[in-house]
Amino acid sequence: MTAVSKSQNAPKSQADLLYDLQLRKERHFRANVGLSWGILLLILVFLFSGQEITIGSQTFSTIKIDGQFILNEIDFIAGGLGQTLLISILSIMLAIVLALLAALGRLSTVPPIYAISTFYVSLIRGTPLYLQIFFFFLALPQLGIILSGVFAGVLALGLNYGAYMSEIFRAGLASVGKGQREAAQALGMTPGQTMKRIVLPQALRFAIPPVGNEFIAMTKDSALVSATGFVHELMWRATKVGRAQFHNLEALIMAAIFYWLVTLVLSYIQNKIETRLSKGDR
Amino acid sequence: MESKTAFESIPIVKVSNLDKYFGRLHVLKNISIEVPERQVVCLIGRSGSGKSTLLRCINFLEEPSHGVIEVDGVRVAGGEKGREHRQLVHDVRLKTGMVFQEFNLFPHMTVLENVIEGPVIVKGMDRKRAVDLAEQNLDSVGLLFKKDEYPMRLSGGQKQRVAIARALTMEPRVMLFDEPTSALDPELIGEVLNVMKKVALEGMTMIVVTHEMGFAREVADRVIVMAEGELIEDNKPEEIFNNPKDPRTEALIVRYRTGGN
Ligand SMILES: Nc1ncnc2c1ncn2[C@@H]1O[C@H](COP(=O)(O)OP(=O)(O)OP(=O)(O)O)[C@@H](O)[C@H]1O
Ligand SMILES: [Mg+2]
Repeated sequence: MTAVSKSQNAPKSQADLLYDLQLRKERHFRANVGLSWGILLLILVFLFSGQEITIGSQTFSTIKIDGQFILNEIDFIAGGLGQTLLISILSIMLAIVLALLAALGRLSTVPPIYAISTFYVSLIRGTPLYLQIFFFFLALPQLGIILSGVFAGVLALGLNYGAYMSEIFRAGLASVGKGQREAAQALGMTPGQTMKRIVLPQALRFAIPPVGNEFIAMTKDSALVSATGFVHELMWRATKVGRAQFHNLEALIMAAIFYWLVTLVLSYIQNKIETRLSKGDR
Repeated sequence: MESKTAFESIPIVKVSNLDKYFGRLHVLKNISIEVPERQVVCLIGRSGSGKSTLLRCINFLEEPSHGVIEVDGVRVAGGEKGREHRQLVHDVRLKTGMVFQEFNLFPHMTVLENVIEGPVIVKGMDRKRAVDLAEQNLDSVGLLFKKDEYPMRLSGGQKQRVAIARALTMEPRVMLFDEPTSALDPELIGEVLNVMKKVALEGMTMIVVTHEMGFAREVADRVIVMAEGELIEDNKPEEIFNNPKDPRTEALIVRYRTGGN
């Protein structure tokens, strides 16, 4: 009795104290990781600062980059961000549609539908993305089919990612238990209603985090489209000015920073969405 | 408790010469049962005896291999295909409510949305009427105050009560229960059994697969014992429990009495 009333009057229970301790440990860890990141960044900046350091009789020079070139060309390269994002967004939308269709096709009991789905996935996964991109830019014109740069790029990236992402939707559909379908059937729902109202909403929610990852990967793979020379996105612009003025180092560093910033922002948004999905109404 | 006069009124469920095979496994062997209106039947038997399969054949979650299922006047022959068959199966499902061991609530919908889904989507009921009906049934299982929660935030017992309300809101002629309390922690079983008892007292025809012998004794009008895909005994609960005819029934009762499950 006394033990109980004592612990109730005490400001903090044993469990609370342990929990506080754990929270403090986690905060401490995060702070140290942040600090280390900062130091790593500083080292990287220093490596490209062109400083000379003397240790004893030896003098080392860090990498010297041309600041003037960067100032001159940053606007031109940054101008490619819009194209990079546009291509990525359009491609991921196409990829989602194709991936979903391919995943549903895999569930079909109609042989031709099943075959189309598996054929598509096999063909795309069996050939390089780089080849597929060139196919749309360079091979199709030989047949008299000339696509605009952005359109061809979106088609190639969308088709490619769609084939890989069909696995995500397949897993999403598989994650919906048999009991869910049976409950819907028992209520009298048709197979179509069951798919639309019960299975798909759950499968799509399951697929949101991995699709986010694919989108982030896509923003970087979109750089491959530059190789064709028709789409003026980040990478194309960086290589253009870099080669012309023999400042590839500076140009590529700038492009790298832009890609990195884009993925950082997208990862942040992705994280927010994921935590929102994992609590709340699941 | 006074037994309702059985075998007089028209049957709500009539199973005739039902056979079910899973591949070469003969799971149900020439089963025939009639369940009259308002009767509560408990189906007991050892694991693997075919209780679930029988129940699931009644609403065609399993397609019978042979035989005829009749629910409230809708006659469906098993083992057929095609549009007409599908329509008949649909009609049967509208007349049967089912409650599963694992609840199977829709996790992406609130409690209320779960309960109105069937009436609105399947029956095309006006949403407002469906909500009224759903709230009435949620109130009757004691969970109206949870109507805007998601299933994840409910206890097992609460989930199962919502599942019962969901089935009732379709206004079925018969309710099928497949071990509705077997997935529950012991302290949550009572609340579900109480709701089932209430549904029974309101006059619902029920077929209940269960290991809850207390419920069978107290609520059932009739207990059917299954073994190896056959009905081995079919009688009033007091007869089954006090005076079992088949040695396998006796063994089953003894097992329950000695705390086996
Ligand atoms: N989908 C299926 N495919 C193949 N065999 C099945 C299938 N469902 C059930 N069976 C088999 O049919 C037999 C009867 O199973 P059923 O689930 O009806 O038994 P039960 O009496 O409900 O048992 P329990 O008390 O364990 O739930 C068992 O031998 C089981 O293994
Ligand atoms: Mg079973």
